[in-house]
Amino acid sequence: MNRKAAITVTAIVSVLFAVFFLYPAVSVIGEAFRLPDGTLTFAFVGDVFRNPVYREGLWNALALGLASTLATFLIAFPLSLLSHRYDFAGRGALGVMILIPLVLPPFVGAIGIKHMLGVEGSLNALLIDAGIMNPLSPVDWLAKGRFWGIVAMNALHLYPILYMNITAALSNLDPAMEQAAENLGCPPARRLWRVTLPLAMPGIFAGSAIVFVWAFTELGVPLVFDYTRVAPVQVFDGIKDLSGNPAPYALVAIILVISALVFGVTKALFGRQTSGSQPRPKGRGGEVKLTGLRSLGCTMVFSFVFLVAALPHLGVVLLSLSDDWYQTVLPLALTFEHYVDALGDPFVVPSIKNSLIYASGATLIDLVLGIVIAWVIVRSTIKGRALLDALVMLPLAVPGLVLAFGYLALSQEGRPLYFLIGKDGSPAMLLIVAYAVRRLPYVVRSAVAGLQQSNPALEEAARSLGAGWFRTLRKVSLPLIGANLAAGGILAFAFAMLEVSDSLILAQQTEHYPITKTIYMLLSSLGDGHELAAALGVWAMVFLAIAITGAAVLAGKRGGLFRV
Amino acid sequence: MAARLMDSIQATSIVKKFGSVTALDGVSVEVAGGELFFLLGASGCGKTTLLRCIAGLETPTSGTISFGDKDVTKLPPHKREAAMVFQSYALWPHLSVERNVSFGLEERKVDRAEIRKRVGEALELVHLAGMGERGIDQLSGGQQQRVALARALVVRPKCLLLDEPLSNLDAKLRIEMRREIRRIVKEGGLTAVYVTHDQEEALSMADRMAVLNRGRIEQLGTAEDVYRNPVTAFVAGFIGETNLIRGRTLEVRGGFVMVDTPGGPLVGRLTREGWVPGPGEEVRLSVRPEAWRIDPATGENGITGKIIERSYLGQRIQYVVQTAIGSQQVVELNPLLVREPGDEVVKISARHSDVVVLEA
Repeated sequence: MNRKAAITVTAIVSVLFAVFFLYPAVSVIGEAFRLPDGTLTFAFVGDVFRNPVYREGLWNALALGLASTLATFLIAFPLSLLSHRYDFAGRGALGVMILIPLVLPPFVGAIGIKHMLGVEGSLNALLIDAGIMNPLSPVDWLAKGRFWGIVAMNALHLYPILYMNITAALSNLDPAMEQAAENLGCPPARRLWRVTLPLAMPGIFAGSAIVFVWAFTELGVPLVFDYTRVAPVQVFDGIKDLSGNPAPYALVAIILVISALVFGVTKALFGRQTSGSQPRPKGRGGEVKLTGLRSLGCTMVFSFVFLVAALPHLGVVLLSLSDDWYQTVLPLALTFEHYVDALGDPFVVPSIKNSLIYASGATLIDLVLGIVIAWVIVRSTIKGRALLDALVMLPLAVPGLVLAFGYLALSQEGRPLYFLIGKDGSPAMLLIVAYAVRRLPYVVRSAVAGLQQSNPALEEAARSLGAGWFRTLRKVSLPLIGANLAAGGILAFAFAMLEVSDSLILAQQTEHYPITKTIYMLLSSLGDGHELAAALGVWAMVFLAIAITGAAVLAGKRGGLFRV
Repeated sequence: MAARLMDSIQATSIVKKFGSVTALDGVSVEVAGGELFFLLGASGCGKTTLLRCIAGLETPTSGTISFGDKDVTKLPPHKREAAMVFQSYALWPHLSVERNVSFGLEERKVDRAEIRKRVGEALELVHLAGMGERGIDQLSGGQQQRVALARALVVRPKCLLLDEPLSNLDAKLRIEMRREIRRIVKEGGLTAVYVTHDQEEALSMADRMAVLNRGRIEQLGTAEDVYRNPVTAFVAGFIGETNLIRGRTLEVRGGFVMVDTPGGPLVGRLTREGWVPGPGEEVRLSVRPEAWRIDPATGENGITGKIIERSYLGQRIQYVVQTAIGSQQVVELNPLLVREPGDEVVKISARHSDVVVLEA
């Protein structure tokens, strides 16, 4: 790519980012620092810290983030290590399967959890049937274990991010690093502690930072668990009354600063290229082929994690099929009625159509931008490319809620982004932009990884034979990185389909609801709302499970998705 | 480090299969205590696999490995005390130079004062005294190489295993490090097995060497032995350069054979014990480029041809001479005159002892 094209791309992307990302983000944070007459103030932020309710909300969010990250690590690390060190029956298939929970929408799973752990749920029914519990005073497990329930949901949802990062870090390690320790007399267990773990730290922290920020800013799960004393839910509740209270804005600013700090510190500590890894590690790894019971053991561990992670969603499947599920271990009768009813519901079909349109639009934008940005980052030599790289990663550091908030404020009549709202008040354009901005990092990362792995000489050869840069891109580069792009694109699409923050806040009329908001609405409606929501959730899950399987297969073990 | 003789290494009838591929096909070597032994061969010949079997990083499909009198075939790598220097060095970037070197001593629960003393000595031995605090990233390739060596030596291993340790260095440094490694191995009285594909490295450093080809040992011997008395055409071609000429046996007399070639009869000697070609049997002759003399006074045991190419390489001149037995590489060292390629007919000849007769 020539310099001029690179600079043009950088300029265009920067402008797009300034308008659709920085501006909304800054405007949200600005609210928190502006008095009605426009003067700068830090009073509101101070107010938040002085307000014991907000303080508690922040502490709870931090605690949720930390506990979720730790729990995620405890699940992900042993799994990565097993699949790195051992070859066992079904490793390939299981390695992909345990990624699926990532795209199973956690707040849909939460419906299943309620039906299993609620006062009238399966667990209590089981205990009563077994004569262990007094049927007159059942335990409300969810109210008791609300915090840990959310942590468990988060961990079981997010562990694939860490698993992918650690696995990538381990497989990029020069196997000689571990063999050298072994050779110098270090037994396997100590080797893990002294060599493997420190060398995998960059991968662990890159993944952990994403997991932490995700859990810290998570809105959907606490909402379903009815856990209101946590910062993201407080922000959500705060804007619903639209009273012009600056406190939620100040809260958002604080959330943003904390998130950015976590990413910044991680990047500063572990962002540099580690010399423990080589672009292509040489030599054989110390992979041990397991047989018999040991192999079966590994297979069981992977299957068990998948089953537990998918349990809430199995609950959702059951719920969607159940005719009557109340105070019993399993539904009394099964029916397909809800699937039929769901499709007949006036909101469901349009919401599926809406989600498909929004997510496809966003994915398309991400793919086009992702390719050119990755090309500038990897292949050009212009000065600003490191900055561009950092810029497009920023959306990962900004909670979805913050941006959703910014878009909402800026798309009011008379505000600069009002042009994104359709004539009938349709938020389609706005949602596409919102989805696209937050999913761009995934596409850029995978395209960058693809370009870095493909030899620039292949492109130079095309150029030397007389192909222009666009032709080279189309005929040589794109086919070479097609798999990476597809993986990034599918992931972006899957996450867009599942988006919660923007969807709940920006879609305001029922005919524009995406799937997630329809599910949320059905959940709060009476009658068979829960069952209908579950049926819709099952449709979404089946679809997304196929999507992530495709992405994982295409990206391969070293895909390097989900990296800071 | 006190000079002391370390254990000998015996590898007996080692077979190693990876799936359907046989990497080692019944290899036996015995390395004497204090010997610098080379495993030499092209990539894929099994030399690194053999080294990794000795280190315990691979388990042989069959065969045994012992250090001294002790059978270590079943011993896991961390209990073997065979220190290895890896091709990629495998220095841990999260530890300083000092911590890298002290790693093995910490594993052996050596007390702190002793560790400090021995790490200091080891760094001094590899000329890196005072660099202990540095990070691995701050070292040059040659320095990293020395750290890897110090890390392996400091634990006073039963034997030292080196896997192409110089292949990542530039040419000049490589030659310097050859001397350096040999000095260290000899001063310490170490038993060392050194894997390389670089025949010059092997010739200049080895006490003895094994030339491997397709999972088997082609020849075992000293550098001089392997270079001067190759027993197969593969060894002749792999160690140094050579001209291989096809022909048929005319007459065998007292270790010498007269061979009929398209360019006339040539006499050479036999090198492989127990092998004598039958009359009329097809054989190959190996003549080193420096063994050919152009246009000598005697002119015996030679053939005629024309010079078709010339490369001037400073201390020597390399010619290509077109003859009835194909083009021959001829090297003249410190030549009196520089010949011109052209139509002039020249004669190239070689001493009987410089022509080796090998199985076809």
